[in-house]
Amino acid sequence: MSAALAALLDPALPGRTPDRPVAGYVGADVPVELLTAAGYHPRRLSGSPHEDASAGRRYLGGGLDPVACSVLTRLLAGSYGPLDVLVVSRDCEASLRLFYVLRELRRVEPSVALPPLHLVDVLHLPHRTTTRYVLAKVRGLRAWLAERSGRPVGDDALAAAVVAHDRVRALLRATGELRPRRRLTGTEFLGVVDAATALLPDRAAELLGALVAELADRDPRSGLPVHLTGSAHDCPDVYAAVEAGGLLVVGEDHDRGDLLAATDVGDPGDPAGLELALAERYQHNGPAAPRASIAERAAHTAARVRSRDAAGLLGYVREHDDGPPWDWAAQRAAAGVPAALLERQPYGRVDPDALDRAVRALRAPAVAA
Amino acid sequence: MNAPVRTGRLPGAAAATAYQRQWFADLHRDHVPGAPLALVNADAPQEIFRAMGIPYVVNQWWASIVAAKRRTQDHLARLRERGYPDYTEQYSSTALGSAFDPDPASAPWGGLPTPSIVLAETTGDASRKIFDVWGDQPGVTFYPLESAAADTVPERWWELMPHDWESTVGTDRLDLMVGELEGLIRFLEQTTGRRFSEQRFAEVLALTNEQEEWNRRTRDLVAAARPCPVAVTDSIPAVMIPQWHRGTTWARDAAHRLHDEVADRVSAGAAVCDGERARLMWVGRGLWFDLGFYQRFQERYGAVFVWSMYLAIAADGYVRYGDDPLRTLAARFAAFSDQLYTPPWSAEWYVKEARAHGVQGVVHLVSDDARGSWATTRALRAAGIPVLELHADNVDARRSDPDHLDRTVGGWLEAEVLPRADD
Repeated sequence: MSAALAALLDPALPGRTPDRPVAGYVGADVPVELLTAAGYHPRRLSGSPHEDASAGRRYLGGGLDPVACSVLTRLLAGSYGPLDVLVVSRDCEASLRLFYVLRELRRVEPSVALPPLHLVDVLHLPHRTTTRYVLAKVRGLRAWLAERSGRPVGDDALAAAVVAHDRVRALLRATGELRPRRRLTGTEFLGVVDAATALLPDRAAELLGALVAELADRDPRSGLPVHLTGSAHDCPDVYAAVEAGGLLVVGEDHDRGDLLAATDVGDPGDPAGLELALAERYQHNGPAAPRASIAERAAHTAARVRSRDAAGLLGYVREHDDGPPWDWAAQRAAAGVPAALLERQPYGRVDPDALDRAVRALRAPAVAA
Repeated sequence: MNAPVRTGRLPGAAAATAYQRQWFADLHRDHVPGAPLALVNADAPQEIFRAMGIPYVVNQWWASIVAAKRRTQDHLARLRERGYPDYTEQYSSTALGSAFDPDPASAPWGGLPTPSIVLAETTGDASRKIFDVWGDQPGVTFYPLESAAADTVPERWWELMPHDWESTVGTDRLDLMVGELEGLIRFLEQTTGRRFSEQRFAEVLALTNEQEEWNRRTRDLVAAARPCPVAVTDSIPAVMIPQWHRGTTWARDAAHRLHDEVADRVSAGAAVCDGERARLMWVGRGLWFDLGFYQRFQERYGAVFVWSMYLAIAADGYVRYGDDPLRTLAARFAAFSDQLYTPPWSAEWYVKEARAHGVQGVVHLVSDDARGSWATTRALRAAGIPVLELHADNVDARRSDPDHLDRTVGGWLEAEVLPRADD
């Protein structure tokens, strides 16, 4: 294994442990550049399918994506360590409901220790009216962070943060482009993305740069190359099971994988344009299942299947993740490769019999799809 | 005091149902395929269609009709056959099953005519996808509206909304919805050839406020009356059918009629249940496939459902006054569902209503789709009111065996509600 890959996949990697105030955040719709520019170490919150989430389920109910229940449980238990602030996006309904429960807990159960909380309501319809709204939300987050930290989030710091995070995204894309050449597994890529969001951007870029150089000479990984669609994955378990079943995940369309780095903020040329550049980037940050139209999703999936030379399309949908099942019919029709769906799967797991059937279907000749 | 007079069906409820049947029959008779016809979500700004003379059918109303006729499973099966899930947002997806009906003539009420436009907010993760599928049907356009959310809100929205909606909803959300509604109006003008008259629109808004003010008076009458003078199975159609026709003189007058009929019953000491022992509140959507549910407990236990959200939200959730008609309409809908489902608004409002109606117990329907049920239950219990969470879907009977529901509610009444009510 390359040294950079080993370092990125090492849970004890120096730099994962923050040495500055920590901003926990939920969802890829949080403009992380603002957190960095405000002097925080951004930490994206993940759930854990291996831990009991009944405490979170008590508040969020049994009909919501179990990831949100797990994140809430871990927040209540202090599992993330000290968080100086918590910013929640509404990247999906479960995140929004998580925000509402946290806000209500702060109101009615003040004895529950929770950090200061803010919702950043980034919306995604491709309209000018939505851009103006998202711009107001970006400005609102910037002002709130300044209020919390006691100092303004300056243009210079924000511009530097934009450059740093764009650099990380570019390197993630470069890493992703090694996947059709089978230089790393999907499980490894998922871990790389996780590390890139856990580290400060300069350190992440340093390691990602080394990774891209080192992987160029790596032997190809084995397995039938597939594009994975459906739910996002905040832990490697499902990827590992799928790849142990003989598949190689060469691409995906969720925001803990390829989609996280699909677009950049860019250089607006004038500091006065930074907030608008952020607004437009996050409004148009890629067709995530919970927020994009079926047509956008199908077109994106089909394009990614082609660009990554995937031989199959695998859909994995977690129980109570309501968006992806509606995309599936159009995605399957557009993909042009054998397709199989694993539906209503438990969090962090995949039904082994269903996976066996899916693998057999994916290995069938394309005409049979 | 004289013994209460047992009431029959409320005439206004029967009249509203008859009106809706005739209206739908007329729609069938007059509708030319391809002519402007909208399918709109319940919490969408229907007033624009009303002002432009474009007929519309409310998505959730249609689902309630299909459920009441026990046809929901047929409709969900058609979705399943086409590769769509039959287990998410059934209340919103039922009507889509009508679009794939091979024999619409045998459908309830002659079937759902194919709309030319569908209008919905992008709430939840699945709702907009359901309407995406609608938009793929020949001749149908989906016009999506954003569903924005607020970071902070004042708590007692029901006192603020009629006049102080700008600060209650928030300028950003209102700016967004005004912009979207301007786009909708231009779209409808261009695609239907209909004219949007500001004067007519102002009339529609004024009629709506009049209607909802009558509903407010009716709600206050019901809250104060002992015993309960009107069954929720009557008040729901008597309120909601006019609600779908709001902005018309018929709807305004129907709300007035409902008020007067309830006032007469209160004056006469009429009761929906002889020997009312306990007053109950139903929190959640109507259990459309089993409307007899609401009566069974009054017959067995003297436990009367005196409250549903339909009259109460009509009383508190719609009235908006303002000088700018379009912004005033945006204020009605930019945060509409928050009033019912988002704490602290929802939780505090249910407590306010429970206290005003003097209920001794709350049955809270908790569906799988994402809603703020914990906060509502917590707030009611913190106010000292017993709450039963009933986990079921309001249109999909697969998860809602009537015997199980009856046993659950009956056991809870006997254990928690009736002993306290009889004290």
